[in-house]
Amino acid sequence: MLSVVGLIVALIFVKFSAPDLALTQLSVEMVTIVLLLLALHFLPWTTPRESSLPRKLRDGALAITGGGLTATLTWAVLTRPYESISHWFLDNSVPGGGGTNVVNVILVDFRGFDTLGEITVLAIAAVGIYMMMRDLHLDAPEADQEGRPWSSDRHPLILATFSRLLLPLALMVAVFILLRGHNLPGGGFIAGLIIAVALVMQYLANGIAWTQPRLSGELHPLIGLGLLTATATGLGSLYFGYPFLTSAHDHFHPPFLGDVELATAMLFDLGVMMVVIGITVVILIRLGSISAGHRRTLLPKNGEPH
Amino acid sequence: MEGLIAAIIGLLTACGIYLVLRARTFPVVMGLTLLSYAVNLFLFVMGRLNIGVPAIIEPDRAQYADPLPQALVLTAIVIGFGMTAFVVVLALRARADLGNDHVDGKDP
Repeated sequence: MLSVVGLIVALIFVKFSAPDLALTQLSVEMVTIVLLLLALHFLPWTTPRESSLPRKLRDGALAITGGGLTATLTWAVLTRPYESISHWFLDNSVPGGGGTNVVNVILVDFRGFDTLGEITVLAIAAVGIYMMMRDLHLDAPEADQEGRPWSSDRHPLILATFSRLLLPLALMVAVFILLRGHNLPGGGFIAGLIIAVALVMQYLANGIAWTQPRLSGELHPLIGLGLLTATATGLGSLYFGYPFLTSAHDHFHPPFLGDVELATAMLFDLGVMMVVIGITVVILIRLGSISAGHRRTLLPKNGEPH
Repeated sequence: MEGLIAAIIGLLTACGIYLVLRARTFPVVMGLTLLSYAVNLFLFVMGRLNIGVPAIIEPDRAQYADPLPQALVLTAIVIGFGMTAFVVVLALRARADLGNDHVDGKDP
């Protein structure tokens, strides 16, 4: 249900000329649904009916009032004439930031400090999640609602094979989207989410026991590394006598590749990408490991001869 | 079209508020997610509704989609995911430590 709402929101973004937002919303949606399904595995099956009727009516009235007020506010704002400050960004994006995708240039250049603050918030959230999940013991139910035990089937062959083939392709698409982010829809956030989805897909299709030894090391140092990269890019401009997070861009002509435009904002975007990958994969894999650990203790019991 | 968007945002907010007022953790998480959709859409339409105009700078174009709200909402989407993940794990931890999924930490 929630995903359907998310997809409709993504479609609204497409309709109203926001390709960057639609791409981000779509990939976030996939990650969110995996997260919520993992969480549902550990929560009780049914919600008891404990709200009394007056309370429901009161909550309903509050909800309708709140919704009505928001709708009226939106309607009022949308039907007023307006003067935007964004023509400044449109005029200065190409000469000042060196990119034609204004949304991405605002993110990594004009308002880079905001983005740095944002990935810091994400990293703090990830540290909090990491700490809360340490020594977390949850009893997952051994059977579903009607008492059937969970399937102990191996992972589906077609999905497993295809996801292995798709991983390098998905990584390539992510690099492509990262590189073109300055001039066409794309950028660090979207690239990071695509890589995260590709990695989570491996865990889903092949199982944690198969995937874990094949990934070299844990991914959470990536969060710190990304933050450091982004901050170092910002500090680099101080060294050249410009304010924090000023970006530079120039055209290069390497052989065979033609005209290549590079901006230091690309490095910043790379940092953003690493933080996003680190956080998403760490959260999902750790939650998944709880359930896999439970599964391992459960499997031998099922395999006992009767 | 403005009326439709206003109605969608209002509906998402109403559902979000109702779910946030429930007593169990999972409906509250879903309510927060719906509320964040509503807020993202609200911020996004502050740039007004532009259909079929480019978001990328092209020569000889006068009108563009407003990039500023788009940039703000893009970060808001990712922050929203971080928040959802944090609340979900908080709910799981509360369930593990307290043995129930009531928002007050004890069954009535």
